[in-house]
Amino acid sequence: MADMPDFSNVESGSSSTATKIYEVKPGDSLSKIAKREYGDANKWPQIFEANKDVLKDPNKIYPGQKLKIPALT
Amino acid sequence: MTSMLRLAALAAASVIALAACGKKEPPPPPAPAPAPAPAPAPAPAPAGVVLSAVTLGKAVGADKKVTAATEVFAKADTIHASIDTTGAGTATLAAKWTFTKDGKTVTVKEDSATITPTGPATTEFHIAKPDGWPVGDYQVEVLLDGKVVSTKSFKVQ
Repeated sequence: MADMPDFSNVESGSSSTATKIYEVKPGDSLSKIAKREYGDANKWPQIFEANKDVLKDPNKIYPGQKLKIPALT
Repeated sequence: MTSMLRLAALAAASVIALAACGKKEPPPPPAPAPAPAPAPAPAPAPAGVVLSAVTLGKAVGADKKVTAATEVFAKADTIHASIDTTGAGTATLAAKWTFTKDGKTVTVKEDSATITPTGPATTEFHIAKPDGWPVGDYQVEVLLDGKVVSTKSFKVQ
């Protein structure tokens, strides 16, 4: 059996010119999502703005919620 | 008397003639039914999101397209797969990265993204390994709504 390398530390991500849909996970905050999706936690207001129809308070998001992640402009 | 008979015959003939005049013509045969109008072409089914191209490279621009396509990478490279789609709707794109050595294949990483494009769009997936990629043969499978729609092989050397 070949001795296979360890890929457990591989980092990954994705981005799109289209709006993405993100499902909130336990422990998420808008800034964490912005960090993951945009690489910059300070861009959370863009996510909040895009989801004002479902979010009234940026500090209150819930696991299972589906948020629109707009493409950065 | 003869005049009377003639008169009666004339009256009878008139009655018959009048009856004949009142006889209705047989109805004309029904006009042939008009040929049925051709059925309208069915509205085209929404095409949904369709993959148009997958390109590998070391970096992407703001448009998410690779800036320099390559299928050979160095150990320290971040590897990007840029996926062009057309169509509109909601679709889940996924990238499954694998490494193959001596006939054995292991999964390096799997990622997915649900997108809602309104037209042509580009979505990129990337992987990086802080301690460097093992040299060898790799592959990325691109899945659209769970179905493999493209496979790209690449090397790290």
